[in-house]
Amino acid sequence: MARPNFSSNSGLKNINLEEIWADLEEGIKQIYKREQKMAVPRYMQLYTHVYNYCTSVHQQPTLRNAGNSKTVRRGGQGVQQQAATGGAQLVGLELYKRLKDFLQKYLEQLEGKGVDLMGEDVLTFYTKEWAEYQFSSKVLNGVCAYLNRHWVRRECEEGRKDVYEIYQLALVTWRDNLFKKLNKQVTNAVLKLIESERNGDTINSSLVSGVINCYVELGLNEDDPQAKGQNLKVYKDSFENQFLQDTEQYYTRESDEFLSINPVTEYMKRVEQRLNEEKKRVQVYLHESTQIPLASKCESVLIHKHLDAFRVEFQNLLNSDKNDDLARMYMLVSRTSDGLTDLKQALEYHINNQGQQAIDKCGEAASNDPKIYVQTILEVHMKFNNLVITAFSNDSGFVAALDKACNKFINSNCVTLASKNESRSPELLAKYCDILLKKSSKNPEEAELEDTLNHVMIVFKYITDKDVFQKFYSKMLAKRLVFHMSASDDAEASMISKLKQACGFEYTSKLQRMFQDIGLSKDLNEKYKQFLTDNAQLSSKIDFSIQVLSSGSWPFVQSSQFRLPSELEQSVQRFNSFYAKLHSGRKLNWLYNMCKGEMTTNCFRNRYILQTNTFQMAVLLQYNEQMKWTFQQLMDNTEISQDNLQQILGILFKVRLLECDVDENQLTADTDVTLNTNFKNKKLRININFPLKSEQKAEQEVTHKHIEEDRKMLIQAAIVRIMKMRKALNHTQLVTEVLNQLSTRFKPKVQIIKKCIDILIEKEYLERMEGQKDTYSYVA
Amino acid sequence: MSEDNDKTSYDSDSSKPDKMFTLKKWNSVAMWSWDVECEICAICRVQVMDACLRCQAESKKDIQSKDGACVVVWGECNHSFHHCCMSLWVKQNNRCPLCQQEWSIQRLSS
Repeated sequence: MARPNFSSNSGLKNINLEEIWADLEEGIKQIYKREQKMAVPRYMQLYTHVYNYCTSVHQQPTLRNAGNSKTVRRGGQGVQQQAATGGAQLVGLELYKRLKDFLQKYLEQLEGKGVDLMGEDVLTFYTKEWAEYQFSSKVLNGVCAYLNRHWVRRECEEGRKDVYEIYQLALVTWRDNLFKKLNKQVTNAVLKLIESERNGDTINSSLVSGVINCYVELGLNEDDPQAKGQNLKVYKDSFENQFLQDTEQYYTRESDEFLSINPVTEYMKRVEQRLNEEKKRVQVYLHESTQIPLASKCESVLIHKHLDAFRVEFQNLLNSDKNDDLARMYMLVSRTSDGLTDLKQALEYHINNQGQQAIDKCGEAASNDPKIYVQTILEVHMKFNNLVITAFSNDSGFVAALDKACNKFINSNCVTLASKNESRSPELLAKYCDILLKKSSKNPEEAELEDTLNHVMIVFKYITDKDVFQKFYSKMLAKRLVFHMSASDDAEASMISKLKQACGFEYTSKLQRMFQDIGLSKDLNEKYKQFLTDNAQLSSKIDFSIQVLSSGSWPFVQSSQFRLPSELEQSVQRFNSFYAKLHSGRKLNWLYNMCKGEMTTNCFRNRYILQTNTFQMAVLLQYNEQMKWTFQQLMDNTEISQDNLQQILGILFKVRLLECDVDENQLTADTDVTLNTNFKNKKLRININFPLKSEQKAEQEVTHKHIEEDRKMLIQAAIVRIMKMRKALNHTQLVTEVLNQLSTRFKPKVQIIKKCIDILIEKEYLERMEGQKDTYSYVA
Repeated sequence: MSEDNDKTSYDSDSSKPDKMFTLKKWNSVAMWSWDVECEICAICRVQVMDACLRCQAESKKDIQSKDGACVVVWGECNHSFHHCCMSLWVKQNNRCPLCQQEWSIQRLSS
């Protein structure tokens, strides 16, 4: 390792440490006194001293004896120096030691001045001295740059632990002297200062930041002095831990005291303010790494410990619609990890309650007036949707709570309970759509209507029985289309496309088909008119028009049978033959119950125009032959069923076109029914086409029956789909999957699913697996 | 006013003395369906009114294209099927699947 020969050959200027030290020490003293600015030449001179010393040392081994004789006082150190540098060819230990001594002495002296100081005095002293010492040490480090670059680096590379660059040496020396003696005093003083700031006093924050800077700077990495990055051990051990403890104590006390005399809302404002203050505190004079532990400490003391109080207050705030306070509470509680769960539940519960109450409050009106019902629901939804957006920053958990609550109260509330029919909500919603889309004097503007339809879709989203909605909607759409009652084709199309978007192609395919049929019928009518004008001999006195619908898409029921008046028979036959020529392989099925027309009267004082349905026509036309018929005769001639005829006559009695001697409820077969020749009405055009109650009722029943039947089909289809994929599945799993698959349409009862499974077993789609309980397998 | 009324009633009495009511206008509604013996296509088990299974699967995205695409066919035996289903069937077996008679087309729907 050692190469004494080698090094002795290189000859340069021989500079002894003693020769330079006196002047160097003088300079260093000047640096640390800081009385005046050091001139650049002087700085260069000092640097040169160090340089000369360090570069001369190569010759040291051969000349050492001579050197030693000159420096008797330092002889011992000289030997050490030789031992330490023998292999490295670089020598600096002697100088290094002297520098260390100098710093040590300087700090010991300082310590004497500071040791008895307390409170702010010690801080003033400590921060001032530190700032100056740090500055001077940086200058010294510059002066000793050559030493740092060669001797120190080599020493460090060889693994010596207690050799530092000069600036770090200064730090270590400060730490081992002034810091060690004074840090308790200083830290306490800092904490006191912070506490008094928390109490509202203004403090000199530079004192704190000075100390903190010092603590941070002192945290050098002793294992690897060259390593970049800060080691915050000193800061953490001597300050932060204590500070966090103090913080906890301070806020525990404060929050308990504050809450005992103030409401929670005030407390929340206080907490918000405190959290901001602490955040700012870190930014202004603490180390940034304290931000997270300090915040979490504050949160746990100020918020987490008082979550119970928050929960109680949350309900109060909801009750009194204090959105600002709710937002504040959300902001605070969302900082804790688990606090929100309870609030979400409380919100869900509250919204459901509010929804129920709102609908309760409308009473009867809600169940009879779809508009009130839907708007009540929307108001509740709007209110809380708004709350979730503004106060709970649209937090997904709160959105879910809102959705859950809406699901609950929309599908089950006093209206649905009263009607003993879970499908009441979709029915009312569909009726509301009908009100919106039907031609009326109150039709809103296009844009407004579009908005309202979007609102309808909000409620639709929550409806469980979407299939029921579809049934009612298609029924009412059918009527709007056939009777040309739609307010706007665009609005109809827009609504259909919204439903399609929400539920898929299948859901709306029939609705779209209906829409198309109406378009096709328009063309068809024109063709037929053309055909009639081309064949003048076929012209009729009756203004005839027709809608031809494709069966299967329209929710209409077959009309009850009756004998078509001969006046109409001709029209029917003509059109039938025309249609047969146009399309082959089709047959037409006339829905007389959907047909309506106009008749003029010739037997009264005025010539009235009656708007009637086909059955009424059939009855009234009888009176072209004679003025009086018995009930039985009318029944025979028109072939209308007794029940229906009674109702038809009921309406005709009511408008006083016909008369009888007995009460209309006591009609018998031979009751005479006569034409009222004194018929009078203020209007010349009279609509007597009221729907028959029995037909309406039948329709209602059919709708509900269809729903049940369709559901069974859908359930069976789902079961087959699932089983085809899984081959074998046990009962519970199968039920779960069915419920899952159908969740977008409706929620089937488990009983019905069971029934459907049985049907499928009977039809040999499935079989029970032998030896395995409750397990089915698919029969291919 | 009263004269006018008298006149109209006189008019109607004179021109059509026995007609109390005259039909002026009739807006009728009818439903069309295929004139078939069995409403379900025996090949794909879907109602002949709807498009056949194959067409349904293909035209899911575009209902417009469905019109006229999936028509009904009647054989001489008067059995009817989706035209699409039948044209695939006859490639394998040129007999009516229901009565085993030689298949020949009587008519196509339109």
